[in-house]
Amino acid sequence: MKVQILGTGCPKCKMLEANAREALTEIGLDAELVKVDNIDDIMDMGVMVTPALAIDGDVKSAGKLLTKDQIITILKEVK
Amino acid sequence: MAGCSCAGSQIKLVYACSGAANTGLLSDQVARKLRDQGFGSMTCLAAVGADLSGFIQSGKSADKNIVIDGCPVGCGKKIFEKNNIPFEHFITTNYGVEKGKTEITQEVISRVTSEISVKI
Repeated sequence: MKVQILGTGCPKCKMLEANAREALTEIGLDAELVKVDNIDDIMDMGVMVTPALAIDGDVKSAGKLLTKDQIITILKEVK
Repeated sequence: MAGCSCAGSQIKLVYACSGAANTGLLSDQVARKLRDQGFGSMTCLAAVGADLSGFIQSGKSADKNIVIDGCPVGCGKKIFEKNNIPFEHFITTNYGVEKGKTEITQEVISRVTSEISVKI
């Protein structure tokens, strides 16, 4: 599984990445955490509002700073 | 262009049906003009209709989605309703334009853009 954090480096993007890392650690999921910070790549995924979180290319959230628990919920739905 | 929610400014997204009729052309041109005038970022209605996740999630989190349909068939309206995404709706035929008849000139584009812009 690949968890993608989309954002150009703003504070919320960094916090979302940290929350995602914590979420992965907490549930012990062996997933790759990838930052997508190139605006063209972000736009190619149809994301118009950052930060965004995608799993294996499927955008699950945009424009929201998800908490660790919210990310865990999403990960469990996908797993 | 994608916007960051950190910036604090409102995220407004503009969509046009861009249909085959003259009114579809007008919806497209008005959307582009609104974008150029800074009323929001234009993005793809077809992508929302195609259930592309990035576009749907962006629409759900935008502060305002402005949907411009060319005619009362309302394809854009139906796409947004189907996806339960809130939106403001405009139809070009409500602005003195007849489907299949009115020539879409720069004057018409400017006038309809101006009339819609005061409502968003």
